[in-house]
Amino acid sequence: MSSENIVMEQVLVNGLYLGMQYALIALGLTLIFALMNVLNFAHGQLYVVGGFITYIIYGKLGLPFFVAIVASGVTLGLVGAVIEKFLFRPVIRKSVREESTMLLAAAIAFFLDAIILLLFGEKQRGVPKILDGVMNLDFVVIMPYDRILIAALAGSAVVTFILFMQYSKPGRAMRALAQDRIAAQLMGVNVDRYSMIGFALGAMLAGVAGGLLVSIVGVNSGIGGPVSIKAFMMVMIGGAGVISGAIAGGFILGMLESIGLTVLVAYGDLTYLVIFVSLMIFLSIRPQGLMGKPWG
Amino acid sequence: MIFFIGVFVLVPWLIEMSGRWDYYYTLTSVALLSIASAGVWLTFYIGRINIGQGAYALAGGYLSAVLVTQYEVSFWLTIPLAGLFCAVLSMLIGLPILRLKGVYFAMITLVLTEVAKLTALALPITNGAKGIVSIPLPGELSVFGMTIIPDFSTLENVKLAFYYLAVTLMVICFAGMYRLVNSRMGHLCRSLQQNEELASSIGVNITTLRITAYAISSFLGGVGGSIFVAISQSIYPTSFQVADSINFMLNVFVGGLGYVFGPMLGTVVIYFGWDLLFQTGKFQLLIYSSILILLMLTVPNGLLSLRLFKWNKEKK
Amino acid sequence: MSALLEVKSVTKKFGGLTANKDISFTVQEKEILSVIGPNGAGKSTLFKMISSFLRTTSGEVLFKGERISNLAPHIVARRGVVRTFQETTIFKSMTVRENVVIAHHLRSKTNLLGFYVGSRRAHTDETEFRRSADEILEFLNLSEISGELASTLPQGHLRALGIAIGLATDPKILLLDEPFAGMNHDETMRTVELVSGVRDRGVTVLLVEHDMPAVMKISDRIVVLNFGEKIAEGTPQQIQQNEQVIEAYLGSEDDSIGL
Repeated sequence: MSSENIVMEQVLVNGLYLGMQYALIALGLTLIFALMNVLNFAHGQLYVVGGFITYIIYGKLGLPFFVAIVASGVTLGLVGAVIEKFLFRPVIRKSVREESTMLLAAAIAFFLDAIILLLFGEKQRGVPKILDGVMNLDFVVIMPYDRILIAALAGSAVVTFILFMQYSKPGRAMRALAQDRIAAQLMGVNVDRYSMIGFALGAMLAGVAGGLLVSIVGVNSGIGGPVSIKAFMMVMIGGAGVISGAIAGGFILGMLESIGLTVLVAYGDLTYLVIFVSLMIFLSIRPQGLMGKPWG
Repeated sequence: MIFFIGVFVLVPWLIEMSGRWDYYYTLTSVALLSIASAGVWLTFYIGRINIGQGAYALAGGYLSAVLVTQYEVSFWLTIPLAGLFCAVLSMLIGLPILRLKGVYFAMITLVLTEVAKLTALALPITNGAKGIVSIPLPGELSVFGMTIIPDFSTLENVKLAFYYLAVTLMVICFAGMYRLVNSRMGHLCRSLQQNEELASSIGVNITTLRITAYAISSFLGGVGGSIFVAISQSIYPTSFQVADSINFMLNVFVGGLGYVFGPMLGTVVIYFGWDLLFQTGKFQLLIYSSILILLMLTVPNGLLSLRLFKWNKEKK
Repeated sequence: MSALLEVKSVTKKFGGLTANKDISFTVQEKEILSVIGPNGAGKSTLFKMISSFLRTTSGEVLFKGERISNLAPHIVARRGVVRTFQETTIFKSMTVRENVVIAHHLRSKTNLLGFYVGSRRAHTDETEFRRSADEILEFLNLSEISGELASTLPQGHLRALGIAIGLATDPKILLLDEPFAGMNHDETMRTVELVSGVRDRGVTVLLVEHDMPAVMKISDRIVVLNFGEKIAEGTPQQIQQNEQVIEAYLGSEDDSIGL
């Protein structure tokens, strides 16, 4: 087997693994966008908070990893609900233009950044490995067990989310809400309640993603913004407000990054430039993304 | 007229009296940031939420820095060059992305800011994370042997010189913007903001107009960035980043979207607010963002919604 | 005498769906031609292709013998083929008069720079546009409300404002998008008179509509679409007696044919 082959297969596996994480992040963002037409700038910050909660519970207090992840998810869900009820809801009610919510989201992002910095400082934080050992398939694909576990957990979170949206009563209500707010209201969907649940759920997904990834890449207070930006890219690739689009966007970005970082490594870190240019070309042909509805 | 006397005579005099020389730097920054914000405002005026001005400020800054340090081009020449470079760049980028609207355009411009930073990190000519440092002060500007602006390094008060430079450019910029908004082109921009389909049905070439406005916007971003670099005598990939892009947008919002001098007002308010909070040390960002959140909760339509109301009444 | 506007076997497909199939007809100078058909017959798709807001899949639209399909909408408008929209499409936060003044843009001969520096020509243009705008507002009985914000207007006035915007561009042919939709009998009759008045100014009119009585009253000729295909063409009298047309309209549930 040639050496190039070995690289490519490894790259694909890495891409899948990254894509799984990214899909989880993008899902939350797209859900919030679909329900409330809010571009949540603070999404990356929610992710970071989730990371730090797991860091404290699992890394510092030594409780089981699973407990830490649940705690991250639940806390962020609560935070999301509070943000929706006390911040977004009144602003949406009073404002006359959609930009207002965007500003509010930016202010919340700054606020969370400040809190995170005050509470956790600037240092990069990591936690002990959750699993030791490496899966080795004939040296074609090498994958640490902890990454496999995290990818599996992320994957099951994505699947649970989809099943929830598809078959549960709140899930159906939210899908109706996303499709047509006024029609949903007429059908008797409690718009306020499900907006809050939706925001909480979106924040929860960000928290779970942050908690899961802290075990692999660690967390630091400065990555909130960049995470949001990646999430924006995924959502745009897939089409804003579409669940399948967010998942597709996550996997595509994960794959592009994985390939780019391998192929372009000789040229410095130009991967993102290339990804961005491709995204621009793609959007000029298909402004609504892969699976989005045409805007207008 | 009062404004002219105010910024060119009164402010320097007050600063001399109080001895607070650091205010020159503050005011110079405000002037430059308000130029870049004016650009953002213009994109809002054609109905696009622009969170990418940081990218053009960075590009303009780097262009000026590279030309001055590596090609020994006069700084004065690099100001328009930086503006033009950014304008051309924005035309290339704008052609595809200006077709996007609302949140989509906002997202991609934000991504653009991040990409500009990564590009600056990756390219050899920008010297990566180390940036470009010890950039010389602006030299002499002379036309036909006549010295118009003396070499800054021979001046005893460089801060004052930069202040005059920035404020002069700010005045030119806002005079130009005022003219634009009240010209027919301004009306066409407004028609674009309100309804692009209808605008094109009455024969407005919306693509050209959008790109023209975006290019002017980016031109101003590049000009602002290039002078900033001259003042700090250094530039890094992090000199303008996502937070700056968001702040440009905030300036415009706080000042108000319907009013051409809004970005100037907004920049003053936000910059001084931020500066005042400096004394709170590590709580600066916390308090700043809390105030922003409170502002959004109480006046979600911007400070201008109060202001414009008053202004309208006066007019009647 | 060649036609002013010529639709030549125009076809539009969306994915597997055929919205318009091989449609041809002509519009003569100074006539009022209506395109009618039950809901979903492909009227508005055809309308958008003629005004170049949609590309054709095949076939072409000619204006004075030159192709205008698949160009940018503003270029088509510059040639003199101007469309109106249904009521929601106006410049909402401008006054009625500002709406009409800005719509004179096409008549201006200055370029963007001229607009900016305010050249003498731009200035005389502007004075002329205001005068012409007032004349158009007068013509459409909008003079009294010329200072009001467009977003506050009732529906009937909005429709008239849409026509005023169209007229301001000095069109050769005005394409009206369902000018009578949602109007009661009196409003419809008033608008019918407006549209006749537009034609009397020398502007050819092509309109897309499903209000049959109004169409019968106003049109010189009528083109009928059903399921994306042209099923009939002729004078109102001919159309009223056309078996296929009657069938098409009776076949669709609640569209009154108004005979």
